[in-house]
Amino acid sequence: MSSTLSSRKLYTILLIACATGYFWIFYNYAYNPGYQEGVNTCIIKQVTSIPCPSCGTTRAVLTLFNLQLLESLYWNPIGLIIVGIMVFAPIWIAIDLILKKDSLYLFYGKIERFFRIRWVAIISIILILANWIWNIQKGL
Amino acid sequence: MEAQKVDMFIMTNAKYFESHQLPAIRDRLLEIDDSKWAIIQTLQFKDPTISLIVSLLGGQLGIDRFLIGDTGLGIGKLLTCGGLGIWAIVDWFLIMGATREKNVDKLRQVI
Repeated sequence: MSSTLSSRKLYTILLIACATGYFWIFYNYAYNPGYQEGVNTCIIKQVTSIPCPSCGTTRAVLTLFNLQLLESLYWNPIGLIIVGIMVFAPIWIAIDLILKKDSLYLFYGKIERFFRIRWVAIISIILILANWIWNIQKGL
Repeated sequence: MEAQKVDMFIMTNAKYFESHQLPAIRDRLLEIDDSKWAIIQTLQFKDPTISLIVSLLGGQLGIDRFLIGDTGLGIGKLLTCGGLGIWAIVDWFLIMGATREKNVDKLRQVI
């Protein structure tokens, strides 16, 4: 665990990320109901016109909130992880703040150490690359 | 340690640390025992310029954060398209400072 990233800093980053995420999802839900390609924030896609590994996540999250699981997985499986973080992180942070504990911070440290194990890292990289290839093939 | 050794270390490694931390590092190095000199000399620090280059090229995929050891933040950047592209741009300006902080942490673990 890095000592520079304090629990307060981590919670602030997570809350800002979740708030931005909810705002972004709400914006797309309200102004982009057909999941057309609206505002494009991806630098890689704008520069190279090739989608990045996490392109299509907005559409995946939107379809998942509409309970269309298969379509969500088609757009991008990363959407599932994002939805999990967006739903559980604020609740977990609230519980931590009320009980004055650091359980999410400790869990984050465990996750970091888990992904530093060699075979876990290799498998994750392969999965991300496979997802990237799939994204390019889908032409998101 | 001898002032001469400490000053040599500071001179050769100053670019790896935040400038405001250098006086504290120098004082601490002067206090500690000579036996740690060998360990301190073998420490390898991350170059802030390299992490800036990586951030400019692969910041969108979080590679800069993985490089300096912030695995969790790297995953966050990777999964969110570089934080909708905003975080990736913000990190162009933060990554050099973050690298120096990591280097100071590494040195602190020894001294």
